[in-house]
Amino acid sequence: MNLFLIIGLLLLTSMIIAAEPNRRTMIYDGKVTEVTSNSAAGAADLWITLEDLKRATGFENKPKGVCRDELCFPLPKARKSAFLNQQGKATWFNLSEFARLVRQPVAFDVEAAIWFFGPRADEQNGYVSSLKAPDFKLPDLNGKLHLLADYRGKKVLLLTWASW
Amino acid sequence: MYSELKGKNFEIISVAQDTGGIKDAGQWITAAKPEYTVLIDTKHLVTRLYNMVNVPTAVWINEKGRIVRPNEVAYVDNRFTSMHKIEAAPYLDAIRDWVANGDKSIFALSEQQLKAQLEQQKPEWALAAAEFALAEHLYQSGQAAASIRHYKEAQRLNPDNWNYKRQAWALSNADRDYGTNFTKEVQKLNGKPYYPPRRLPEVKK
Repeated sequence: MNLFLIIGLLLLTSMIIAAEPNRRTMIYDGKVTEVTSNSAAGAADLWITLEDLKRATGFENKPKGVCRDELCFPLPKARKSAFLNQQGKATWFNLSEFARLVRQPVAFDVEAAIWFFGPRADEQNGYVSSLKAPDFKLPDLNGKLHLLADYRGKKVLLLTWASW
Repeated sequence: MYSELKGKNFEIISVAQDTGGIKDAGQWITAAKPEYTVLIDTKHLVTRLYNMVNVPTAVWINEKGRIVRPNEVAYVDNRFTSMHKIEAAPYLDAIRDWVANGDKSIFALSEQQLKAQLEQQKPEWALAAAEFALAEHLYQSGQAAASIRHYKEAQRLNPDNWNYKRQAWALSNADRDYGTNFTKEVQKLNGKPYYPPRRLPEVKK
């Protein structure tokens, strides 16, 4: 294909995406995903397609609830319409309502069209009953990743500091 | 202290809570030439996971991965003692005692003692952490102006968290964007200690 044609097509595509009012950015489990939303501009709740739900979060709508692997959250029967909305062929899912159901904090910026979903309360607070030090994986100065759990068998003084 | 204790099945993991990452924290690490493990945490993940609210904060973790001392101010030298009045020596002695005696050390908490101290994250703190994380993302993706309103929201929702304040102020002109700065806020404490006091038991000699 002609190089100019390719560049032209790319430009056209990017223009369509830029002009698309339904694009939103969402961050879930630390992963950034661009999604399509049918929420009105300025709306607080984020409605996305079931395809985007799976792509961005790993969760799927199943007969027994909204599930990821073994983890399933049944949707309250009386309030199904607060979560799911059929429009033509597409089914839209209210991820903000789901976050309230599973006790997950959500911060968003309508102007920047971005939604951040934090950890569920049960994930965040698990260590308060298990007493296990929450695990993490972070790089050192050379970029080598260290997992806290790799230090099992030693006493660890975990110390935070900052340059500020 | 680390060189004294490192052969005794003991590790220090020191984590920089710095949005600017190596750009901001790197010079400190290079200058200190540490033998222990130093990690860079641009998203303040450790702060969030352990509900920390200030630096330096330390947690003691035993060989099985159980917390034996929860969040506590952890000065390991006296560089800033004239400001915060916290002597490093009793804390260093406590660490030595723990390294020597393990879970039997009087400084290591039992499961029951620990349960009495660990707190569930309040919903407004969880939301504050989400607002802070969103602000971090906006800042790091070049939307500094938009980040300010979310840093402010995090600060409002969890006013005890100094990390949310100091990191945000450091990334901007604090007086212009937040109408305050670190010195002014410390003065507002009016002599009240900046850190909650350590709760180290007295050693019988």
